Amino acid sequence: MSLKAPPSPASRSRGRGGQSTRPARRASGGLARLGPLPWIAPVVLLILAVVVWPIVELIRTSFQNISISGVVRGSAGTDKYEKLFDESGFGHVIGYTVLWTVVVVSVTMLVSLGLAQLFNQRFPGRSVTRWALIAPWAASVLMTAIGFKWMLNQTAGVLNTVLLDLGIIDKSEDWLGSQSTAWPWMMFVAVFVSLPFTTYTLLAGLQTIPGDVYEAARIDGAGPWQTYRSITLPLLRPAFLVGVVINLINVFNSFPIIWAMTQGGPGSDTSTTTVFMYKLKETDIAESAAMSVVNFAMVVVLVLLFLKVSRWNEED
Amino acid sequence: MNKRAVAAGAAALAMALSVTACGGDSGSSGDKNTIKLVAADYGDKKSNASKIYWDSVVKDFEKQNKDVKVEVQVINWNDIDKQVKTMIQSGNVPDLLQTGGYADKVADDLLYKADDVLSPKTKKNLIPSFAKAGEVDGTQYGIPWVSSTRVLFYNKEVFKKAGIKNPPKTWDELAETAEKIKKSKAADTPYALPLGPEEAQGESMIWELGNGGGYTDSGGKYTLDSKKNVETFNWLQDNLVKPGLTYSNPASTDRKTAFADFAAGKAGMLNGHPSLVQMAKAGKVDYGVTTIPGKNGPLKTTLGVADWMMAFKDGGKQEQIKKFLDFVYAKKMLKFDEMYNFMPVTNDALETMQSNGKHKDLQPFFDELDGARFYPLGDPAWDIVSAEMKKTGGKAAKEDPKKILGDLQKKAEEAAANTK
Repeated sequence: MSLKAPPSPASRSRGRGGQSTRPARRASGGLARLGPLPWIAPVVLLILAVVVWPIVELIRTSFQNISISGVVRGSAGTDKYEKLFDESGFGHVIGYTVLWTVVVVSVTMLVSLGLAQLFNQRFPGRSVTRWALIAPWAASVLMTAIGFKWMLNQTAGVLNTVLLDLGIIDKSEDWLGSQSTAWPWMMFVAVFVSLPFTTYTLLAGLQTIPGDVYEAARIDGAGPWQTYRSITLPLLRPAFLVGVVINLINVFNSFPIIWAMTQGGPGSDTSTTTVFMYKLKETDIAESAAMSVVNFAMVVVLVLLFLKVSRWNEED
Repeated sequence: MNKRAVAAGAAALAMALSVTACGGDSGSSGDKNTIKLVAADYGDKKSNASKIYWDSVVKDFEKQNKDVKVEVQVINWNDIDKQVKTMIQSGNVPDLLQTGGYADKVADDLLYKADDVLSPKTKKNLIPSFAKAGEVDGTQYGIPWVSSTRVLFYNKEVFKKAGIKNPPKTWDELAETAEKIKKSKAADTPYALPLGPEEAQGESMIWELGNGGGYTDSGGKYTLDSKKNVETFNWLQDNLVKPGLTYSNPASTDRKTAFADFAAGKAGMLNGHPSLVQMAKAGKVDYGVTTIPGKNGPLKTTLGVADWMMAFKDGGKQEQIKKFLDFVYAKKMLKFDEMYNFMPVTNDALETMQSNGKHKDLQPFFDELDGARFYPLGDPAWDIVSAEMKKTGGKAAKEDPKKILGDLQKKAEEAAANTK
């Protein structure tokens, strides 16, 4: 009955005291049995559509045989995974992905700790420098990477010109042409673009530490290093953890820097798994999907591992 | 209240569903009289973008054929293969495609035979050697679009400065010449060797041909790591790369970099195709051309490259496609060739270009046409092999050629087995 017409306010108010509340209450009890489901359903559907479905599709693709022109030719079983693990560059790519992530994240965190400390001090021009720090963040990562690519260019790059003029090198270097020099430069750029966000996260953390804790420490006669180690760092942990997690995921998945600077080449010498996956797409889209699945699994493991470690910290 | 909850839930549900529905509809162009053409961009600046050419062609065509419309999408060379692949995968297949390779699409039975979409007159007008290169197992699918042959370009001024009288005829002479250029500091890069992803398969093949090698044997089987090919790369390493007579990392140097360097007077010699003529002229470089040196003498067969036009069956627009192709090949071929200084693929355009005196600079390229050797274009696995070579082939100039070429050979054999 209640589905046919909305109860008038009058009848509702009357019902509150009288007998007619019974059926209404029973109906809402039915809805209550669903719990919060009706309310989170849209979100769940959205997640199913934009997160779960692509993953299912991705995994399905990785077991298919797809011709280079893009036509599905049936199931491939686990062939594409075998082909992927057989790629001559695969081990190299995995190794360098780990190295890339570890180096970039740890250097970023270390430098940011220092920078955040610096920006937390009072000094003339602080607000200007704080604004300036945002610049690498505000600029598109792709633009930054392309900028560095040209600065490092062998014939036209400003770095070679400067080094040549200063007499530090006697022949212009092709910095991005081989992996021994390309990796350090790309890591440098990755750190450069990660600094602003991380520094601001840590700076925000620093500002939540109440001043009286420091005052107490000073009265107790703690030295600056001791204060930093036993007050600043422990109280900074939540902000630090956020910084590490977000950077881990960002850096692991980082694509534009490497793609813009070396395209992962020569061969796959300067590729991380993400870039490698993109390059596989040119020859075999299913194998590329297999790489994506492996990539996805690695991110999941990384995050689970991290959650575990950070929860352990909490209990501690 | 109950009803309101139901209504709100329904509305949210509908919203979520409409979000998912976005991905479902792959726009199938139902209009039979609209041809969708996807073409590569040959231009290197805004003023000579291929879009300009195609727009004017379409305008003239539509003026004469009021019943057929043509939609043009021009994509740059780096992205066209990927984008076309996505189009095919999502069922959004173009009707006509002009790009670098066709055989992979034949393997998937996507294309019309050339006979189905060309009138006999148009087909007869194609230069036979190119028409033949468009065949898979004896049936022509690929319709040649433009062609080019390769010659050795050298900078006359650089040669003069380095005291070199004659361009090199053999590999040893080439290395000697490069050495002289390096000593006299006449050019930053004595010989430009671009083995980067852009066209590693081209430069490699030129050098391998110089040693009597190549990509396939007479039976059409891949021989990427043949003794002669390995020898070729060993020679390149020992005589050009290690002594610093070329780029320090050929595998990450693209052809466009090499061309730009030559046009800026920074490179002494390199292998080039007709577009370099225009670039060199624009850069005011006094250049000379000669047949590419081989190990023991000038190459008898140089690399010939053709780009292709192909028609997809998916839309069933055979008649409309035929109309358009006949129009383009009969009336608009010469315009494209002259716009980019490319070599024609039709007899009448070739005759015109050879006789009208405007293309004397192309004569050395025309001369090489008879002996031109192509990639194994008609092999359905070639597109995979070529993509793999672009990725890693260049590394053979710095690392162990036997290993790099061996890996490629393994991949080529796998690809060949998979496409059959």
